Amino acid sequence: MKITGFDHTNRGVGIRNLQLILPSVVCSTRVSSRIAAEVSKQYSAVTFAHQHGCGIIGNDVGGITEYFASLAKHPNIGSVLIVGLGCETIQGNELAEKLLKENSSTKYLVIQESGGVQGTVDGGVRAAKELNVTYPPKHAELRDLHIGIDLSNPNLIAAELVTQLGSLGIKTTVSSSHKNSGLNFSELMEAGVHLIVSFPDENQPASGFPLIPTLNISSNSPLHLALAADFDLPSDTTVAQIIDLIEAVGNGAKTKVEAMGAGEIIAPRVVRSV
Amino acid sequence: MSNQLTGFPRADGRWGFRNQVLVLPLHSALSSVARKIADASSGAVAVSHDWSGERDGDYDRIFKTISGFAANPNSFATIFLTLNTPHELEIIKAAQKIGVNHTEIINLTELGSMDKLFEVTLPIANDLVVQAKKVARVPAPWSALHLGLECGGSDALSGITANPALGVASDRLVELGAVSVLGETTEILGAEHLLAARAITPEVGRQIVEAVARYERSINYEGIDMRGAQPSRGNIEGGLTTLEEKSLGAAKKAGNAQFTGVLDYADPAPKPGLYFMDTPGHDTEQLTGFAASGINIVVFTSGRGTPTGSAVMPTIKVATNTPMAESVPDFIDLNAGTIADGTETLEEVGARIFDEILAVANGQLTKAEKGLHHEFSLSRMYNTVIS
Repeated sequence: MKITGFDHTNRGVGIRNLQLILPSVVCSTRVSSRIAAEVSKQYSAVTFAHQHGCGIIGNDVGGITEYFASLAKHPNIGSVLIVGLGCETIQGNELAEKLLKENSSTKYLVIQESGGVQGTVDGGVRAAKELNVTYPPKHAELRDLHIGIDLSNPNLIAAELVTQLGSLGIKTTVSSSHKNSGLNFSELMEAGVHLIVSFPDENQPASGFPLIPTLNISSNSPLHLALAADFDLPSDTTVAQIIDLIEAVGNGAKTKVEAMGAGEIIAPRVVRSV
Repeated sequence: MSNQLTGFPRADGRWGFRNQVLVLPLHSALSSVARKIADASSGAVAVSHDWSGERDGDYDRIFKTISGFAANPNSFATIFLTLNTPHELEIIKAAQKIGVNHTEIINLTELGSMDKLFEVTLPIANDLVVQAKKVARVPAPWSALHLGLECGGSDALSGITANPALGVASDRLVELGAVSVLGETTEILGAEHLLAARAITPEVGRQIVEAVARYERSINYEGIDMRGAQPSRGNIEGGLTTLEEKSLGAAKKAGNAQFTGVLDYADPAPKPGLYFMDTPGHDTEQLTGFAASGINIVVFTSGRGTPTGSAVMPTIKVATNTPMAESVPDFIDLNAGTIADGTETLEEVGARIFDEILAVANGQLTKAEKGLHHEFSLSRMYNTVIS
């Protein structure tokens, strides 16, 4: 399998060249989405809504900080703009300083110090575009493709897929910890997979992760059959067909979820908010 | 300015001060398309969340939050995006039992794809926005107003300027027959005895103290002392030294009125008066709980400044200090820092906040509304609560 991706230096070679606009707290998600929408007119910026970053305690402080760091270090990411509010638990500037040590293509902005919403949006768009100019896409062959398999729905074909990918020298990580694909996606993201093949639970729809192209394989459940158009491949698909599609998506073909511009993040939390 | 409150009466007896058209995904995988519909529409609003119907220990809390939010009286219409699962249909029924002015149910499984769902829902949303704009306001009684009291990013001036000024406005509204709700259990910790002493009955006082004790137990259960995370770093940078100091200032938002009752997270106030609601201090979890309880307007004081708002509740931001009000003007509606500057009294700022609540209830848009700030968070306990 030959895949031409993008060299993201210390992040590795990815199959997408995305810029991550990372809100370090729920309060900066709206500003982040305005920045991403503007930057996306010219480049490929991604962001996501979440409800974390403040009012968190105990293991969640380290856990969510690490989670955000994993997003920023993902191989599909070319550069990162962190947008903070200023008074939150996870301080955007500290996260940025930590990330900067590994990747110079990192910037951050703080709403409370940037003149408010419009000031942050303007400054953020400027900073994000600068990053795109300074770090243009650099094509490279991807030699260590890593596929994540979301096994929310135990599936015989998945075992065969792992075996065949292995025989092609392709690394796989399987996540079956949860019946909820979103939580499995987060585990797979932290493992650094380039692409996810999802076998969602029979009662869950097709879904995806913002930075990682996600292929959804249908089951024969009534829900999946009713939503056939949202799945990339039907239940009677062959392993060879999945592998062909992995190669196509690895080389830039869009998954259904990507084409819809969809994808949500479910961050792992263990303690209630305070 | 006329002192007449105007709004939109709902069939269930409650009142709205907005006519929002809310696109509400009942499953996390429908969040992206909900946002897409709202963005493409001529004024509908949407929220995103990360719940996929998990039947865990937080199910009842989330069920109550989503159904209550769907039934907020500020919504002219709620468009439910559903996978048609039994629990999603239960949520819709529960919302309708509270009161949904106009219900639309869009079933993804009938339509077959997200693209089709988008195509079908967008014109429905646009049509509802047109209908909503045609409805005229009518004079409303003060009991129509359910005010939420919130503070976030507190600083050393919070308890001296914005919070007590909001307390002045809250007292006046309670006297006029409105509902006023103080939240944030974290932020009355250390001040609960003072609030309990203002309870209308000893039982209500006991409930206030118990809410704080329950909260502490739920955190200590994790082996964490909340005082390690509160006051937050931003609070400390803002000059606050201890959680108790923060609490004493935070409680000032509720003025001096008697507490009529204690509400569980997202529960509605049964009659006029001042209430305490057991919520996290996390701003958007609190705002979401307020909205789910039927609160239709919020005043949010801040020392550090935050742009957040709600898809269904106008949220008025009051700055505790003048430098902040001037540094982030596009998300502060009122400056209470004038009290510390010595150019206005507490009563004068309280009167300004009261006037602002009236003006906003009557249709004046807040900065958070103009900026389309529709943050939403589901409050979860992660099975750690011991009651």
